[in-house]
Amino acid sequence: MKTVSAIAAALAAMSAFAHHSNSAFDPDKVVVLKGTVTEWRWTNPHVWIILSVDDGNGSKTVWEIEGRPPGILARNGWSKNTFKQGDVITVDFSPARDGSHTGLSSRVTLADGTVLTQATPQ
Amino acid sequence: MSKTTALFGLALGGLASVATLTLGAQQTAARPDFTGVYYPFNPDAGPAPSRGAGTPPRPVAVIDGRAGRPATAPKLAPEYLAKWDAMRESRMAGNSESDPNANCLSAGMPGMMSMGYGMELQQTADKITMYGELNDVYRRIFLDGRVPTQRTLDDPTFAGYSVGHWEGDTLVVNTVAIREDTLLDLFSPHSDQLSVQERIRFTAPGVLEDRLTATDPKALLEPFTQVRTYRKASPPNDELREFSCAEGLLSVK
Repeated sequence: MKTVSAIAAALAAMSAFAHHSNSAFDPDKVVVLKGTVTEWRWTNPHVWIILSVDDGNGSKTVWEIEGRPPGILARNGWSKNTFKQGDVITVDFSPARDGSHTGLSSRVTLADGTVLTQATPQ
Repeated sequence: MSKTTALFGLALGGLASVATLTLGAQQTAARPDFTGVYYPFNPDAGPAPSRGAGTPPRPVAVIDGRAGRPATAPKLAPEYLAKWDAMRESRMAGNSESDPNANCLSAGMPGMMSMGYGMELQQTADKITMYGELNDVYRRIFLDGRVPTQRTLDDPTFAGYSVGHWEGDTLVVNTVAIREDTLLDLFSPHSDQLSVQERIRFTAPGVLEDRLTATDPKALLEPFTQVRTYRKASPPNDELREFSCAEGLLSVK
């Protein structure tokens, strides 16, 4: 049973981080959360911010927030070194339709007030 | 040689030089160099909304058909409209099997010319090579007069097989041998008889326009036309980055 659970968890993780259709997210909703970065993945085809958010009841919730590809973000001032573990940031994102703690970010505000967006250069 | 004759000769020589210069200028104008990095833009759009404070823009562009079929979509024959409807149902249920981007695949011609993450063009006398950052797509337009062989026609690809020629300052391109399982506009199916005609030119310095017409006697009730416009990038945005989409498949914790 333990093996089956491990495989299921691995598959779930794989589906979360693989490329996918944007229909997994609800574009009519924008959630704003402040939390602490526990991991920053500068990977194709999407970057990921793993965010630990205080739920106000003494425990933490882990959110996996997706962003656009490194190429797009690099042209918008982001880099592989934009975040480090322990940074406190605020993220605006569209939440997943299935209610899981995932989302697709639209912008990030750093502790010093710097706003990072994700538009394509024109 | 009299002085008059010499002056006449000089004048003729001058005329010849002018004629040569004019011809040279025409040749330059007739064969523009498209080499460079470009990003798509909408020339009809107003100024971008200000960023920072206030409500952020919607981050997600969902293409799953829940809003119906837009009036600008290709006019599909009934058999292909039924295929679209099945695709729509699947996408709305959250499935991604019909979305090339979700599967790290090229959108194929003509959809790949959206070039949402930028494209790089390299032009020589005989060939234009295109690289698109989104999904690392690759396309060639042969300008040396070759035509697709039967073996090429029997082996369709995502980008298809493109040959082009110049008509004044406009590159005229015809593309055939496009895989049947690609999508016309990222959402509309087509048949094995799809071909794409393009007219590509500069409409202003650094502004490249591609007028694409897709014809498909089996799937389309009428030709499907799109106009794509791109702006040439300046440093530092003239460097595209590798996409390597499959990297995401390895990101298992």
